[in-house]
Amino acid sequence: MTLACFVIPLGLIFVYSFGSENLINFNVEFGWTTANYRAFGSSLYLDTLLRSVVLSVGTTLACAVLGLTLAYFISRQGPRTQRLLLAAVIIPFWTSFIVRTYSWVDVLQNDGPLDNLAHTLGILGPSSHINLLYTPWSIGIGIVYSYLPLMILPIYVSLERIDPAIYNAGADLGATPWRQFRRIVLPLARPGLIAGSIIVGVPAMGEYVIPEILGGGKTLMVGNIIANQFQETGNYPFGAALSVTLMALLLIVLFVLRRYQVTGEPAT
Amino acid sequence: MNIRRHPIGAVLSALVIAFLWLPLVVVFIGSFDTNSLLTSWTGATGHWYSQAVNDPNVRAGFETTLVIAVLSSLLSLAIALTGALWWRRAPGRARLIYDGLVYSRIVVPEVVFASALFFLFLKLHFTLGLPAIVIGHAVLNSAYATLILQARLIGLDPALEEAAADLGATPWRAFRRVTLIALMPAIIAAGLLAFTFSLDDVVTSYFLQGTSQSPLPIVLLGMIRFRITPEINAVGVFVMLLTVALLSLAVTVLSTAGRLGRSSRRSRLVSLYER
Repeated sequence: MTLACFVIPLGLIFVYSFGSENLINFNVEFGWTTANYRAFGSSLYLDTLLRSVVLSVGTTLACAVLGLTLAYFISRQGPRTQRLLLAAVIIPFWTSFIVRTYSWVDVLQNDGPLDNLAHTLGILGPSSHINLLYTPWSIGIGIVYSYLPLMILPIYVSLERIDPAIYNAGADLGATPWRQFRRIVLPLARPGLIAGSIIVGVPAMGEYVIPEILGGGKTLMVGNIIANQFQETGNYPFGAALSVTLMALLLIVLFVLRRYQVTGEPAT
Repeated sequence: MNIRRHPIGAVLSALVIAFLWLPLVVVFIGSFDTNSLLTSWTGATGHWYSQAVNDPNVRAGFETTLVIAVLSSLLSLAIALTGALWWRRAPGRARLIYDGLVYSRIVVPEVVFASALFFLFLKLHFTLGLPAIVIGHAVLNSAYATLILQARLIGLDPALEEAAADLGATPWRAFRRVTLIALMPAIIAAGLLAFTFSLDDVVTSYFLQGTSQSPLPIVLLGMIRFRITPEINAVGVFVMLLTVALLSLAVTVLSTAGRLGRSSRRSRLVSLYER
């Protein structure tokens, strides 16, 4: 009986997973296939694709650095403090995605808190502004902000299991804190770092909402171009071709990271 | 040298946590600002909350969002529950395929998924609108619901159901009185999770809404494009409190049940967290 019940959802899932291939059939029927892929040749789309890759890699790296710092710090605290700090990381992540993202418009805009701070500290002259909002930087900040908890948690999980005695052993053997970090923490955090990079880098690549809000329609990413094909331009086959390309790119990245995760040996 | 209290680590960590909280504080303060341009603080007022409640756009959006969230979380549960129960007794290879399908729904960028579904509906001549959004959300969120149910099923001893059968219970009765009861906390938590994700969704709704009333996040997105006002902040605070309350409830349900089960508090936090 459960098997019969499963056929319906399985059918749905299958329909969806083949959906992206059906798109191509759809294109072929209209004889547009190569034209859609050739349209990438225009520098506008290549620029956008490149920008998406740079933003996704850059934000993943930034998340990795910040995430490793915080995850390491949390994992070295007592159990009560650990739980408190984890809650401090998770609760902002639970709040509405839209709210979390547009709040950065408040923070980053000229005459906003950050701008005022820069003026108070004398970093900026009275007549100049930070001009961060609606640039690739603001999109990057938004992505790092939204995905950072997704990096902290897997790293924390892999560090949390480490016996503190290992650190003491390192210290007893005369390792400096930096050396301990490099030789003990980094290799042990590796599985968490890779898992975190997958769940940060992949969705960041196809991000739509963040560039829509923080890019101000100027600095677009692939996700926005795809959405525009469907909502505004109405060029469905081209949007589909973009979707398939994005998917293919991500599959390659996943495959590489996966291999790394399986065959990668702890750095020595 | 005690790394645990190393000052550099503490300062950096404090900065990262401040980074995570700063924007939320700004939204919260901004929702009380009497200055409608939000350029400088001129005093506190609750006016924006009443304006938000009386805004017909916001109201209609919120009602649509609620309807979608209720229907899609129920559908998600149905998909996840039947799937997870089947998965429990499935042969190894089928299990692998099933796991692959669950994870692929989480990893595939939402834009790609939403556009694929858009195509499918177009080909089937299925009218876009509320039902389409419900289906889209259910397919997506049932993956997260499945993960929670699977975690609970792994800890469920089949001997319990066998005992029920030995005592003369029909399979349906054994399922209802043993399996379903044991799964109840996971079902509630999975449902709440699917509900919250549906409340929050933008991309799938945006693709599948057609010409029908937009759900609240899309209404908000439209308002933000124009200008950020204290009213938007007030709606934001409201949505923020709602999602935090729902997810806290989900964690509480899971951890109360966890004292009887075997999964650790930490693994539950993790499972709720990997959206």
